[in-house]
Amino acid sequence: MFLFPIRQTFLYRYLNLILVGCVLVIETLSGYPQKPITVIVPFAAGGGSDVFVRIFQKAIRKNKLCPQPIVIKNIAGAGGTIGSRSAKNATPDGHTILCLHDGIYTAKHYGNADWGPEDFEPIAATGRSGVVVAVKEDSAYDSLDELMEEARDRPYQLVYGTNLGAPNHYSALFLQNGKSGVKFRFTQTGGGAKRLAQLKGGHIDLTGFSLAEYQQFKDAGIKALASLGEERESSFPNLSTALEQDVRATHNLMQFWWAPKNTPPERIAYLQNLLDKAMVTKEIKESFQNLHMDPVIQVGQELQKTISDRSQKLQGITIEKPTALPPLEWIILCMTAVCFLFVIRETKSA
Amino acid sequence: MIDLFSTPSILWLVFLGTTLGITVGAIPGLTGTMLIALSLPLTFSMEPVNGLVLLVAMYVGAVSGGLISATLLRMPGTPAAIMTTLDGFPMATSGQPGRALGLGVGASLVGGIISWFALWQLAEPMADISTMLGPFELFSMVVLALAMLAGIGDSTRARGLLAGSLGVLVAMPGMHPASGELRWTFGLTFMNEGFRLIPVLIGMFAIGKILQDLTSKDGKIEEVSGNDSAWVALPVWLSNLFNLVRSSLIGTFIGILPGIGANIGSLAAYMAAKRGSKQPEKFGKGSEEGIIASEAANNATVGGALIPLISLGIPGSVIGAVLLGALIVHGLQPGPLLFRQNPEAVHAIIGTVLVANVMMFIIMVGCAKWIAKLSSIPKKILFPLVTGCCIWGAYALNGMWFDVSVMLIFGIIGWQMEKAKLPLAAFVIGFVLAPIAEENLCAGLMASGGSYLPLLTRPISLCLLSTAVLLIIWKRKQKESSTDPPQS
Repeated sequence: MFLFPIRQTFLYRYLNLILVGCVLVIETLSGYPQKPITVIVPFAAGGGSDVFVRIFQKAIRKNKLCPQPIVIKNIAGAGGTIGSRSAKNATPDGHTILCLHDGIYTAKHYGNADWGPEDFEPIAATGRSGVVVAVKEDSAYDSLDELMEEARDRPYQLVYGTNLGAPNHYSALFLQNGKSGVKFRFTQTGGGAKRLAQLKGGHIDLTGFSLAEYQQFKDAGIKALASLGEERESSFPNLSTALEQDVRATHNLMQFWWAPKNTPPERIAYLQNLLDKAMVTKEIKESFQNLHMDPVIQVGQELQKTISDRSQKLQGITIEKPTALPPLEWIILCMTAVCFLFVIRETKSA
Repeated sequence: MIDLFSTPSILWLVFLGTTLGITVGAIPGLTGTMLIALSLPLTFSMEPVNGLVLLVAMYVGAVSGGLISATLLRMPGTPAAIMTTLDGFPMATSGQPGRALGLGVGASLVGGIISWFALWQLAEPMADISTMLGPFELFSMVVLALAMLAGIGDSTRARGLLAGSLGVLVAMPGMHPASGELRWTFGLTFMNEGFRLIPVLIGMFAIGKILQDLTSKDGKIEEVSGNDSAWVALPVWLSNLFNLVRSSLIGTFIGILPGIGANIGSLAAYMAAKRGSKQPEKFGKGSEEGIIASEAANNATVGGALIPLISLGIPGSVIGAVLLGALIVHGLQPGPLLFRQNPEAVHAIIGTVLVANVMMFIIMVGCAKWIAKLSSIPKKILFPLVTGCCIWGAYALNGMWFDVSVMLIFGIIGWQMEKAKLPLAAFVIGFVLAPIAEENLCAGLMASGGSYLPLLTRPISLCLLSTAVLLIIWKRKQKESSTDPPQS
């Protein structure tokens, strides 16, 4: 009776070894990777996602984990959809992959992309980052509870700065749904840096930051009211969660690695193995600690579950359109026409 | 800081970075952002301080290098050099290419040093002031910049405005900058981002210029010729002292504002110089004041853009964002604590701004003779070379052929606009500013619940808007009084 579980682990181990062996043999036979592995980052160089992939690039390079270099290709624009589309259409040979966070779900939900996670072969999820809700340092609100009550008693008055259609916007929507009757006034603010500047200047009342952003900005004159984790963040143990403050909202951000559909499974396995090895290097451990990310890696069943859970979670969200915006494109068109007439008159009279 | 820059290896890195930066800045189609993003992996194996020194030197070099092709070929190598084409090229074609380069390089040095001083001594208060500007203020500032387009170059007011509004119109397709919804994309995914700046810029200026030269039948090609010295005497600088300081301060402050950066910096300084000049009619025809204003301001934006990076941890420009990423990858924690935790990194950044600007000045003045020869390369070699660089640059941006075709189409548009005497600079600046204006107006409206009132009730916004209105009215009066008599 006692031997059985031990044997099972042994068997499991051997089986695993054999599997890894097979993968290695196939790899050598097919010669993958034959050329540099291109990672498409669908955001500009220097942003959070770009830095994230560059940390892996550095770790893989320093520890010589891959015979071929990792090359980063930034295809920025339109909230990551330009880059994810070109990754989706790339040759599925494992030499082009995509690294994209929860934006892959939100772009589809928001209606800016008609493709989503189901159009890729997921490779792995690496690194989870918590999210905090923050206000200006001298704000009247000292707890999330007070702020949420205010937002319920005076709906659509507190201005919430977000990046519309991005995961950050969805964190805000989850928060709003966390207490009935709460309504924020959402405005477009942009990336973390812009949200900090606008919060500091008092142009918005509250906003959300990833833990890495919060760590970076917290001494610039802002304070966090709550984190949106299931439990308190180990790096900020004094910061209570929204759940503790009676707001039923949770959210976090994860980075996912995707390969184009029909990429051969042994190449996916190779990449999983590569990421797995990278995760335990000194470089990744240190960087993740600096960025306050949990060094988790998910593959296989666990990954599938994460992906379907995240897609599911968005289904409960409905987007209220913000204030009617002026149809600037038509105004400009009319202005151009008027200028055109003036120029014609000028040409004739000359 | 002095210790750091007395080691030969660091000076060598500054030299390398500045030279590479000047080279890519001068080549139409290649940008500093590209160079820095490509070099970033190479710095992984370096000490963080050495890596930062190299990258900042590249930044300074790239902003400065743009003036070479802007002056000699009328093709701005970087968006920041658009305003330099207006006076640099006419001066170069009138037989003084050396002087045009010398003025640009000298003004760049002054702009760099003034903004370095602000970065060194005034970073924190200036960053705090910049956060006072909310979406309404930023919108009003862009409106003011757009109003300035009316007087750009030597074209008429109607033509300046038409070119500007065409530029704004071309910026409309793609993702709405505020609501994130798609507009005018005709269901084509590659249109989601709309047209990008680099293909439009190099298409309009570089490809357009080549088409124009190739098709001019009467052989009336504007040739740059002359072999004058790039050394500009001290009295010239002294008589332009006020212009130099004003342009540098405008550049530094506008450089702080995220997303607005170098382009508006040089535009605003140029227009301020034109308004303040005793000879405004020379602007657009080879005015030395115009070259000085544009170049002092665009180099000053470098120091400006680094101010919020160092004091708040937020980037003031695209290249600033890449530098921020470099800090994180190198294991440093950007933000207000950077000064305390990694003072050596902060000193390296600040020091490099100064040393690289001086280095840039020495390299450019020292090589001005050879640089000026660039324009005497025969057209049948130069044109294919420039076209090749442009195609490569447009493609390398995102690895998409769509960007290359956009560049070629805008080449044809630029060529035709030039024929119709519509100023290209107004078009491109309208194109750059439109999304910034729209994003900020819409963000402001979303925050105010749809009310336009804050545009007039917020003092800074009111001030900027009324200046814009005054500019247009004052402009008309001046035009009537100065141009009417000869016409009648």
